[in-house]
Amino acid sequence: MKDKPTRREVLGHAVRGATLVGLGGLGFYLIRKANGEGVWQIDCEKCVNSRLGAVGVEVCDYCATSCVLGLSAVRAVNDYSICGRCYICPAYFDIKSAVNEEGLPSQKLCPRDAIDRKPIGWVDPDDPANNYYEYAIDENLCNGCGKCVMACKEPAGLNSIRLVVRYDLCLDCNRCTIAIACPDEAYERKPLSEDEGVG
Amino acid sequence: MRYRYIGVISGKGTNGGLFADALRGLAFDATDRLYAVGDSKLVVFSPQGKLLRSRRTERPGHSVAVAADGTVYVGQPGQVQLFDPDGKLLDTWRDAGRLGLVTAIGFVDDYVLLADAKDRCIRRYDQGGKFLNEIGNDNRMRGFLIPNKHLDFVVDPQGVIHACNPGKHRIERYTSAGKLLGHWGRFDGRDPAGFSGCCNPTNITLNRQGHVVVAVKAGPRAKVYSADGKLLAVMGEDDLDPLCKNTDVAVDSRGRIYVIDTARLHICVFAPDITTQPAEPNADETVKP
Ligand code: SF4
Ligand code: SF4
Ligand code: SF4
Repeated sequence: MKDKPTRREVLGHAVRGATLVGLGGLGFYLIRKANGEGVWQIDCEKCVNSRLGAVGVEVCDYCATSCVLGLSAVRAVNDYSICGRCYICPAYFDIKSAVNEEGLPSQKLCPRDAIDRKPIGWVDPDDPANNYYEYAIDENLCNGCGKCVMACKEPAGLNSIRLVVRYDLCLDCNRCTIAIACPDEAYERKPLSEDEGVG
Repeated sequence: MRYRYIGVISGKGTNGGLFADALRGLAFDATDRLYAVGDSKLVVFSPQGKLLRSRRTERPGHSVAVAADGTVYVGQPGQVQLFDPDGKLLDTWRDAGRLGLVTAIGFVDDYVLLADAKDRCIRRYDQGGKFLNEIGNDNRMRGFLIPNKHLDFVVDPQGVIHACNPGKHRIERYTSAGKLLGHWGRFDGRDPAGFSGCCNPTNITLNRQGHVVVAVKAGPRAKVYSADGKLLAVMGEDDLDPLCKNTDVAVDSRGRIYVIDTARLHICVFAPDITTQPAEPNADETVKP
């Protein structure tokens, strides 16, 4: 008879289990897509966090706080085809925080530290502004609170970040609690063929 | 030093002096007539803001400038159109490869400078439209950092180019041969003397005293700096629509500052409050490179 599993084996089972759940969710999603079924989706033109023209308004965090899941099925996604790769990204930095000795805002915007900032290529130490920067969202940390989405909206940003429902996480509740809470009727059940497919 | 809001010129609409979809570029001629471009229109106003005339441009205008001889240049996607002072078309410089999107125009000696926002650099041409050299792209970013796809510059009386590099929160100074002479400006989201957001300032001009006038977005306003970057005045915070961006600025001979409201499609006018203005410049007070 085998002894108690080692820590390495437990971790291995956990990773394989998570992968299988993920693949199962993806498979389920692909089957539903093939069948033309409706799924919960966010209309970015209605969601107050990404809707153009809605500036100087409060961030809506119902996508983060209303989902039945402990960590919501909604995530923020950065569309790299739009992102300006700015030196100072208002979705990454709290641009109203005091400037530090490097000339950058001293605080980050994301309450879960889910955005990673990496220089693209070599950085000139004498002039770090002379570079592009990549902003990647860690979906294991993001809960879809929408703060970065609002901060990246035109005219402050380029509208490159939006909220999406991750089908491999969403339980596809008949009465989605986010859809019920959504003040903008932006949370809709739509055929998968209308999925914008970002990220 | 203070400026007060004194009113607007033009506005949204379909009549001759009005703009329906876009208002993008401003310039004055030597007699203080104001030229405005947007939609596919070139509109001229008297120094009092009265509509004088309006004519079509072949493509939507993104910039306008008036040369010393009165020739009016209108920057467009892929080309520049030249008009005489009465609005008659003189020439069209087509160069889709080098004039991707012309968002600013200036003059130095006998040359014409054109900002191409597509290639993120400024290009020098002779008066016949022959390309000579590039400015601002001899660096590892291969050009200015302009996430808003708008590049603006102004030329001072000594022929020095002052260009916005909004991704670096700077104003950079170049010779017309493309040599970088220096820069000023820094990011700061709290101190009004700094440039805030991802990318500011977006637009630039100079007044007769050699002060640098810039426009910034999110929240939109215009600011006046000394030639070496000391903040002198801020205006427009309550007068410009919060959605404004790439708001062109121009200054007339009276020192009035004209700022485009790109959302409401009109031009806000700010007059110097004479009780707070310094005396007229003397011969020593010129912009130094
Ligand atoms: S949505 Fe919220 S948690 Fe997710 S990356 Fe943006 S700020 Fe962070
Ligand atoms: S359907 Fe259920 S699991 Fe999916 S986002 Fe809505 S509340 Fe969350
Ligand atoms: S609840 Fe509606 S408005 Fe609020 S963040 Fe989600 S989709 Fe946007």
